Amino acid sequence: MAALRQIAFYGKGGIGKSTTSQNTLASMAYYFDKNIMIVGCDPKADSTRLILHEKAQNTILQLAAEMGTVEDLELEDALKPGAGIFSPEMPHGWINCTESGGPEPGVGCAGRGVITAINFLEEEGAYEAEGLDFVSYDVLGDVVCGGFAMPIREGKAQEIYIVMSGEMMAMYAANNISKGILKYANTGGVRLAGLICNARMTDFEYDLAWALARDLGTQMIHFVPRNNIVQRAEIRRMTVVEYSPKADQALEYKELARKIINNDMKIIPTPLEMDDLEALIMKYGLDEEADEDNIGKSEAEL
Amino acid sequence: MFILGFHFPADMGNSVPDAAVVAKLDEANVDATGINEIKMVTEYHGQTEELSYTNKDTFMFKALVHYVKTAETDYMIYTNRYQISELSKRLDSDDETMALCKKFDSMAHFKITAA
Repeated sequence: MAALRQIAFYGKGGIGKSTTSQNTLASMAYYFDKNIMIVGCDPKADSTRLILHEKAQNTILQLAAEMGTVEDLELEDALKPGAGIFSPEMPHGWINCTESGGPEPGVGCAGRGVITAINFLEEEGAYEAEGLDFVSYDVLGDVVCGGFAMPIREGKAQEIYIVMSGEMMAMYAANNISKGILKYANTGGVRLAGLICNARMTDFEYDLAWALARDLGTQMIHFVPRNNIVQRAEIRRMTVVEYSPKADQALEYKELARKIINNDMKIIPTPLEMDDLEALIMKYGLDEEADEDNIGKSEAEL
Repeated sequence: MFILGFHFPADMGNSVPDAAVVAKLDEANVDATGINEIKMVTEYHGQTEELSYTNKDTFMFKALVHYVKTAETDYMIYTNRYQISELSKRLDSDDETMALCKKFDSMAHFKITAA
């Protein structure tokens, strides 16, 4: 039996991390028969909705609050089997889902939910489920606090995939997450496994993502094009893989899934200085007219 | 590292030599007998365009034949298309191929078949 692999998807808030991760994990289960546990580490609790066909799963923190304490919580209350083709009764791989949850907006520490959830799952034996191939953490935004660094800090997630696009802040976040990985690489063994470009379909986006990956010392493992079928599937609370398994976009996620399953490139990243990151964006991200002299000038002034 | 769908071991780093990719294509030994033309249809924002490519002496042709013969549908995966273009710009030089590279670098959706 192959060793359990623990992966995590990080990236700037709103970049499409949960959509990308659920579609990719769905492909790993459906096309490649992998058994997966998703641990949503975002207070929005939207890391599992497409697998469960639900609005939002009850989170570990919510359930613990209802029960009194997390000690009163049972694993089956917090860990739900996937719906539809991801159910354990179906012929392909299965997906089990849990969400850490978080406090009300503006109150308390959101990262605390991540720590509580992982400790609970470990104590309840969730990682020892028979046939489990992958654990996947879907983690909110930038690594701005220790709680969100928990999966990498404690050596839980060994391979990190950063979801990014060709926009400045997404690249800034990718670089910052790389700094977080670098910080814990030697103590926890975490490694950067690649960038996933969830494309906005802007000029030079492939080149920009590829160049950032190269400079970080990693690979741009896949360029996921924008396609309306993703939204059509999401409205039905489904992944594209389940909604339309032969669609072109499903083939994109299938190819990304194949690469992740076979990926052996796990490196300690070499994050960029801010000036170098800006230079890279100037080189690839803007058109030929953009140079230092044009900064701050409107289109009419050029 | 993955290029044109091929896996290159991590110890090769993140800068795989072009010759190694060409060697993988050769090893794949795809039968190109009878294929004289690659036909493509592109679509972007409702605008479609039909393309034809016939230069058999190029890396581009070899890579496209491999894609057509091994892919499960006629849809071209974006990553592979961008990578084919990137390599072809270094390995090929004729005008027909460079024009196709420019098309490949776009955001359009491509369907591909052999004729």
